[in-house]
Amino acid sequence: MSESARKKQRVSPNDSNHADHTLHSDLRHLSNLIPKPVTPFRRAISASAATPATHRTPNNIPIRTPGTAARTPRGATSLRAAGQGRRAAPTTPHAIRALRERANAARTPGRRRSGRVQRETPRDILRALSRTLAKDTVPADPSPEVPSRSSALDLADVDDGPDPVRPRLSMPLDDMYDDDSIHEPPPRESLLPDLPDDVDTGTLQSLEFGRRAYSEDPRAQFTARLSERFGDLNELGLDGEEFEVDGMFINRRRTLDPDRLLQEAIEEALDEDAQDVSGLGGLGLGQGEEVDEPTFRFTIPARIRREEREDQPPLDNHEDLENQNENEDEGSDEAGADAQLTLHNEDHEDEDIIEPLNNNTDWESDQDAQPEDPSLVAYREEPSAIDRSLLAHSPSPHPNAPQNRRQRKALHISRSGHEYPSFPAAVVKRIATGMVAKSQGTGKGKINKETLAVLVQTTDWFFEQVSEDLAAYAGHAGRKVVEEQDVVCLMKRQRQISANTTAFSLAQKMLPRELLQELRMQPVSAKGRRQKRKRMEAIQEEEDEDG
Amino acid sequence: MPATSLYPRGTVKKIVKAHANRGLSRNADILIFLNYLVFMEELLKESSIASKQAGERGISARSVRKVREGCLMKFKG
Repeated sequence: MSESARKKQRVSPNDSNHADHTLHSDLRHLSNLIPKPVTPFRRAISASAATPATHRTPNNIPIRTPGTAARTPRGATSLRAAGQGRRAAPTTPHAIRALRERANAARTPGRRRSGRVQRETPRDILRALSRTLAKDTVPADPSPEVPSRSSALDLADVDDGPDPVRPRLSMPLDDMYDDDSIHEPPPRESLLPDLPDDVDTGTLQSLEFGRRAYSEDPRAQFTARLSERFGDLNELGLDGEEFEVDGMFINRRRTLDPDRLLQEAIEEALDEDAQDVSGLGGLGLGQGEEVDEPTFRFTIPARIRREEREDQPPLDNHEDLENQNENEDEGSDEAGADAQLTLHNEDHEDEDIIEPLNNNTDWESDQDAQPEDPSLVAYREEPSAIDRSLLAHSPSPHPNAPQNRRQRKALHISRSGHEYPSFPAAVVKRIATGMVAKSQGTGKGKINKETLAVLVQTTDWFFEQVSEDLAAYAGHAGRKVVEEQDVVCLMKRQRQISANTTAFSLAQKMLPRELLQELRMQPVSAKGRRQKRKRMEAIQEEEDEDG
Repeated sequence: MPATSLYPRGTVKKIVKAHANRGLSRNADILIFLNYLVFMEELLKESSIASKQAGERGISARSVRKVREGCLMKFKG
């Protein structure tokens, strides 16, 4: 209500406020209502024409013409001219003439151009001429204009054809060695070329080696773990030829004679301290035959010991061969033993192999400058003499060796001097096949013999490593007994046990139930560990004395 | 269950005792054998991967030789 009253005040102030208004007051009021002529005259006219409501505006509000018409004078004038043309006829003679000219121009369409009188241009003359001369010609319709292209776009038209091969932005490293470039290094042979054996190759076979003495080998001062010598062990069983190093020369010879290997192992076991055997000449000085062969040398780990074995010249008869096969089957877990085994198997199957083998040993003895009986050579050349040469004339490396010892079981010797058995291969096979079958899902996991041998070897290395680690932990704790907490600590360090994987959960996953139950009883005994330790130590010491 | 029957406990004990030059407490060998099982699983897994990469069928001795050093290093305490 109050708002409406205020509105009422504003719209008709004279009715409400001034009840007794005189003529003078009315005039004054009117003069207040009428806008003061602040704007110029022309503008006032246009403004009044455009906005008739300005009469009602109060005087304190300045009069403004709305829109752009007032702001742009040209627009205002055009507006005004339009209004004038419509309303009133022009009065001035100039305006009258101008109007008449414009009307004439509107009536004649040909000369429409701006209403002015056209002067004759040469172009007009030409157009008139063309109209008279060629009336029938239709103006040529221009073909639709091709949008103009820049030169760069025109060049890009080449791309309309088949795509060119993309350039390669990287270096062709893989192909670098394929082509015959001049940067290719000349071929170098890592081994000596095949030469006949009788060629005097005194200078050809000379080699240059590192100058460090073998005794100063930096690896030798560290612990000589079996597992750190993968290379030595794997290289023992070479098939075909071997090269041996004699001073500055290398000599070619055939693969290891298995019997010498066995003999070597025995002598090694007798000679406890020696870890690396460099030559038979150094070892078997007492035995007359081996002194003659100073070039036979290889490295064998010291801890392989064969307790009881049977020494035979290699090719005496097949029974002995079989025996030896058995021996090596049982005992050796070296890689070299595999090679020997295959060698013997080949001998079994095929007699022909034996003959070159014999010749090789002859060749070796030739190298040792032992004069060979020519009649004997001729005798061996006879084809029927193969068996006889096997029996009688094969140069057995150690005929004086004891004959009737047989190896039953291989016992290894640890670094601390204790004997230990090898982990049984059957168990390894069972575990491995089970695991392979489990990982493959269905079916049986198959482990072949060679793989099994490697797995057994790896198992031995693993136990050696783990035991030494456990011994270190127990020794650090000042104990003489390896306890469960040492193993748990080891597995923690192996990242097998973490906060969410306890040893027990791992055992639940991996171990059979019987062992799990044994482990389950463990916490009971773990409570009284402190009290039990003394007693356990005593027991252990007794056991050690026994062992 | 990879191993359906018991393992040769005495052998494991002997091996570890000989290497460590120390005695073993009563159930430590079970845990050691557990550790061995984990190791074998790892070794077989790695070697099967290696043999698959080499395009062999089954697990070859060569692949085992290739991976065993790394596995032993992994299980070094």
